Amino acid sequence: MFIPIRLAFLFLFVLATSWPVFAEVQDETLLDVQVREIAKTLRCTVCQTENIWESGAPLAQQMRGVVRDRLKLGHSPEDIKEYFLSRYGDYIMMQPPAHGVNWLLWAGPFILLLGGGLLLYKEVIGWVRRTPTPSTAPPPPLDEQARQRLERELES
Amino acid sequence: MTKSSQLTLVVVLLGLFALFYQGLWGDPRHIPTVLIGTDAPMVEGPDVETGQMISLNQFKGKVILLNFWASWCYECKVEHESVLQLHKLFKDDPNFVMLGINYQDKLPDAQQYLKEYGTTFAHMRDLKGQLAIDYGVYGVPETFVIDQQGKIRYKYVGPVTGHMYTKITQEIIAPLLQGQPNSTPS
Repeated sequence: MFIPIRLAFLFLFVLATSWPVFAEVQDETLLDVQVREIAKTLRCTVCQTENIWESGAPLAQQMRGVVRDRLKLGHSPEDIKEYFLSRYGDYIMMQPPAHGVNWLLWAGPFILLLGGGLLLYKEVIGWVRRTPTPSTAPPPPLDEQARQRLERELES
Repeated sequence: MTKSSQLTLVVVLLGLFALFYQGLWGDPRHIPTVLIGTDAPMVEGPDVETGQMISLNQFKGKVILLNFWASWCYECKVEHESVLQLHKLFKDDPNFVMLGINYQDKLPDAQQYLKEYGTTFAHMRDLKGQLAIDYGVYGVPETFVIDQQGKIRYKYVGPVTGHMYTKITQEIIAPLLQGQPNSTPS
């Protein structure tokens, strides 16, 4: 009696877990891949922390449409990025182009890290130099009074 | 720490603080435009009310004011009276044209909006958002002034009311109509 029930549960379990195997797999075309790759590099001007691929804003959707239309017309990814740059400026790029004052954005963290490191190094060297080196000479012998006090304290 | 190191540290910290302050209190929605002084895209689209095609090309050689709007946009309603007033002020000048561009909207909603609030100039539909992207628009209302040479002279994001109305009418459009095209690039 128990075996058919177990078999039925096993059948249901296998059926439930293998269901995704039957799901339809839609192939991404080369155009889809190109749209996605370009869209990921462009900032959504409405949801400004997201790229236009991830953003759900209508403007982002329209921008993806423009990317697709231009790819269909034979424009290269660079041409398309250049078009968006000419309309919105550097702001549209998720990674600001490395030119002009933008170099500060790229080099700034490294300059700060290097400067901070140098400053820290200089300070540590200064501290080390200013700290007196401990003497290697043997300590002076205890006088009689101190020796007796030490013995008393050790005994108590 | 030497005095020069202390000074460098203070300068760097002040610089970082200034950047942080700017990030905190600046307007994150403001995107500086790169379009001033560039050729205005000669866009075209159907008229919201009649469906007839309108092209910016047909107004070449005139001072054109483009106003992007949508029926769902609260600030567009706020500026509507001022925009109508602005058109009234310059409509008799043969060298002035004003055009609305309806952005991300449904046609019946846009038509209802114009019926309800009234209009005295033509409005073009932006069917796929291409017109807005051509003009680097990222929100409505946005207003552009194009000079007689077809160059974008001014762009403003937000409602054209109060001091902006005064600035656009007196400092931007009026000098352009008086033949001073280099008066107020912004």
